[in-house]
Parts: sequence; C-alpha cells; structure tokens
Amino acid sequence: MTSYSIAPERAAAVIARGAPGLWVRSYYLMVVWELQSLRIVLPLALVAQIIFGAGLVIGFGYLVGDIPVTEALFLATGITVISMITLGLVLVPQVIAASKQAGVYDYMWSLPVPRTASIAASLTVNSFISVPGMALALLVAWLRYDLTFSVSVLIVPAALLTLITAASVGFAMGHAIPNPMTTSLITNVLVFVILLYSPINFPADRLPGWLATAHQGLPMMHAANVVRAGLTEGLATGVGTSFAVLGVWAAAAWILTAWVVGRRS
Amino acid sequence: MSEATRSPVEDGAAALAITNLSKRYPGGVLANDRVDLRIRRGDVLGLLGPNGAGKTTLVKQIIGLLKPTSGSIVLDGHDLVADPSVARRLCAYLPQGALPLDSFRPTEVVDLVGRIRGGDRRSVRRRAAELLEALELQEWTRTFGARLSGGVKRLVGFVMAAVWPASLVILDEPTNDVDPLRRRLLWRQVRRLADEGSAVLLVTHNVLEAEQAVDRLAVMDHGRIIAEGTPSSLRARSRHRLRLQLDLSPGADSPQLPDLVRDHMRVGRRLYLLIDERDAVEAIHWARSLAEDGLAEEYALGGSTLEDVYIRLIGREDALELAGRGES
Repeated sequence: MTSYSIAPERAAAVIARGAPGLWVRSYYLMVVWELQSLRIVLPLALVAQIIFGAGLVIGFGYLVGDIPVTEALFLATGITVISMITLGLVLVPQVIAASKQAGVYDYMWSLPVPRTASIAASLTVNSFISVPGMALALLVAWLRYDLTFSVSVLIVPAALLTLITAASVGFAMGHAIPNPMTTSLITNVLVFVILLYSPINFPADRLPGWLATAHQGLPMMHAANVVRAGLTEGLATGVGTSFAVLGVWAAAAWILTAWVVGRRS
Repeated sequence: MSEATRSPVEDGAAALAITNLSKRYPGGVLANDRVDLRIRRGDVLGLLGPNGAGKTTLVKQIIGLLKPTSGSIVLDGHDLVADPSVARRLCAYLPQGALPLDSFRPTEVVDLVGRIRGGDRRSVRRRAAELLEALELQEWTRTFGARLSGGVKRLVGFVMAAVWPASLVILDEPTNDVDPLRRRLLWRQVRRLADEGSAVLLVTHNVLEAEQAVDRLAVMDHGRIIAEGTPSSLRARSRHRLRLQLDLSPGADSPQLPDLVRDHMRVGRRLYLLIDERDAVEAIHWARSLAEDGLAEEYALGGSTLEDVYIRLIGREDALELAGRGES
C-alpha cells in the first residue's frame, strides 16, 4: 500500500491563527456543509415554505371573506413576513434541538471553524430557503386578489434584517435552551403568538392597548412594516423607527448568540 | 503563535501535558480529580476506565467543549484552557456519540472535514481514498450515511478524524460496533497516525484490544488516574500469578476460600480468584472438589492478563462487563 503522509506540523500550520482568509474559507465550507446536510429535507422544506406562504394567502382570504385592496395588501405582505419570522424563530431552534438530540452538536463545535462563520453560514442557507416561498406567496396574492405591488430596493435590507433578526433570536434560543423538548414547546407557542397576536397581517390598532404598546418594542410589527415599505407604496409609516428597532433586536440577538456559543460550561 | 500562550509546564517531548486538572460540574459532581497525563508525539496512550469514570469529561476539556474547574492543559506549548479555539485547530476528534453523517456520502463528509481542518482538496482526497481503502470501506463510499451500519459509520468517523493530521488525535471508543476484522485494520491505522508524528489519545473499554494498540495505558476511575504505565509494566503487577475462574452452580453461595487465594472477585455466578503459580496444583484440587460436591459447574486456570490487573484496579463488580467483554 502506498502511504500518503503529511506531517502534523505542516497540517497545523495551515490553520494557524491569523491565517488569511480563514473566516471566509470556513464560511464557504460551512455553507457547503449546511446545504449537503439539508439536502434530504431541502425539497420538503422548500415545498413546505411554498405551501405555507401561498396557503396562508389563500386561507386567510377565506377567513376574512371579501377584502378591500388595502387589507389584501396588508395580508399578502404580512404573510411573507410571517414565513420569514417563523423560519428563524421556529425552524432554526428546532434544527439545533434536533442536532442536540442526535448527539452531533458537540461534534460540530469541535471543528476548527470560527463560530461566527458557522452561524453566518447557517443563516445564509436558511434565508435562501425562504425566498421561493415568499416569491410564490406574492405571486398568489397578485393572482388571487388582483394586487399590484410596487417593489423598491428597500425590500433587500428589509428582508435581510428581518431574516437575520428572527434567525439570530432563534439561534440564541436553540443554543441557550438545553432541553430539546423545551425548545419544541416554546416554538409551538411562538407560532401561535406570531400568527394571531402580532400585528403583522393586520394593523396594531385592532389589538388591546397594552398589547399594541408591547409590540412597539417587539420586532414582529416592525419587521412587517419595513417589508411592507419595500413592497408597497403608502402603506407603511415610521419606517426609520422600525429599522432602528429591528437593528437593536438583531444586534442584541447576535451578541447573545455569540455569547451562548462562545461560553463553555 | 504568541509567546504569551506558551506555558512553563511544557516538559521535554510531551505534546500534551495535562496537569492537576479538576472538573466539578455545576451540580457538584467531581468528574475529574487532579488528573495528570502526558502524551508524547508518536505515542498512543490508551485511557481505560468504566462508564462514568470521567474519561469523556477529560476529553471534552481538551477539545474545549468544557471548561476545567482548575488545572492546565498544554498542547505543543499552547494553553488550551485559555484559548479553546487553538485546541480545535490542533486536535482531531472522534466523539463517542453520533456523527452528523446521515445526509452525506462518506467521501463527501470526509472531504469537507479534511478541508475544514485545513487540508487542500487534492491532498485530502488522496489521503481519504487511501484510508477508506485501508479500512476496506470502498463498497460504501457512495452510500448515504443514513443507510450505513453502525460499525461502518464509526469507521467513517475515524477517517474524518484521520484525514488531515493533527498534533493530537482523540479517539473516543473508535471500535464500538466495528466487526473484529476491521477492528484490526483500524488499530493498524491508529498506529500509523502515531508513527506519522501525532500524539494519540485512545479512550476505550476494551482492555485486551487496547493492549495491542497502545504504547502506554492510563486507568481512570472516579475521576482519578489510578495507574499508568506500559502494558507490560502494568501486567508485571501480577507476575507469577494465575487466574482461577470458577462457575458456581445456580443458587450456590460463595464457597469458603482457601488461604492460597490472593485476591478474588465475584461477578454473577462467576468467581475470579488470583493465586500464586506454585499453588496451582492445590488450587485445581480444591476447584475439582467443589465441582464434585455440585457447588461449581466448571473451572479453568489461566495466565493472569491485563484484564485481571484492570479488574483489580477498578475493584468493582461491574468492572468486567466494562472491560470489553463481547460487543460494547
């Protein structure tokens, strides 16, 4: 047998601290890792996102009955936000919980990858999963309710910030909660709260005063507002404030995630 | 790397130096108790011990997944407690538990891990192909992990750890579920890692197999290293001793032991007795009389093995089962 040997010294030198491009290289390889490890569930996840988005647009129509154009626009844009938020707040923590349950969590953290690169890779892949579903939801809304959207460049930062905020909070939850069962319970409750008690599909003034006030500080309503600003004209107000609130949530969640994954018990 | 991370405790050729390491879990359990351990480059150290001895806790502190309560871990002059990210770069790790293989083909996951660990695509591919061939895994290189048997998964995990060389290779129970034939192939590759210059830490229950593969052995129990040395130096503890194994009849009480018995242990109906070589005839005579009286079903006399040493060190009833009898 021919023997192909590499001295450990040489191997270690390649990944020595400060090697240029280590973060970028790690990020790229972790994106490949994420894609490959998702590929069995990827078609299903895409189909689920599509059904979820398009299904909500149609289903809410039945629930509400004949709706005026403004309401329909509110609904259709809100649903894209719901699918982004549930992806981050529900799917991300559940994927982490599943890896804890399978016992592979420790292995992933033993790889010589900067942890921020690993999280960023996961964020990237998870975000891309949501794109087809969102696009289709808007298409269905256009066909079903005869809506016209006016898409501006603002949709890019709005969608990115929404995805990053939701996924970061999801990451922080998934990593911080030790018991996967607890994670699953909490995410189930969250879906319920997001769907029915967050002013994403409807204006905040329909909620009781205290809940409307609470949503001033929570990210859901603001996420809906910035995305709506990117997809419609004249529906969204106070967009600057919404971006600011979302930014604070994203930063806080990111710091919390970095702290949680960086600590050793 | 900066001089600041170099430690004064670095001694001679030791690649890994663990000094006075203790780990107390938040619940209060002392899982590692003042552990000292050294591994040189080119050496395989076997870490033996029953479940719950603290072996995996020790490993997780080396790799940076757990923070020691006190003590130091130095690898190639780097303080791993202060900077766990260095540990991840310098160590290759095969964990005891599951590996994320389900949606990968072995060649893909080995390739990715090799490159994550710093390898270039060509070198990684070449070495991966060679390792997969050496472990006779060619048949499964394109099969998705979800469809692989436990033993094959374990071997793929080993290839993931071995595909790109590391200062320290940590293998936590690498032979679990692996068939006897491939176990031998695996030990050969473990040996080769050390010969190429890595320090290898091999965590195992399997005393007899470990004996063939390791340069040194450390026995751990209740969080402490209770013995350390080469296999033959450990075996020397029972030189000129023999083992008399006695299978008692169902329902029989332990018989009155004659004075010639130096040490004994009962596991279920089986009684292990340690005797001096010169008492062999007398011991057989005694055992035969037990059999004739219906107290024992069978008896056997044999040379004392490392397993006996291990069992005596651990001194517990469950030690034998944990000493790698049958499949673990």
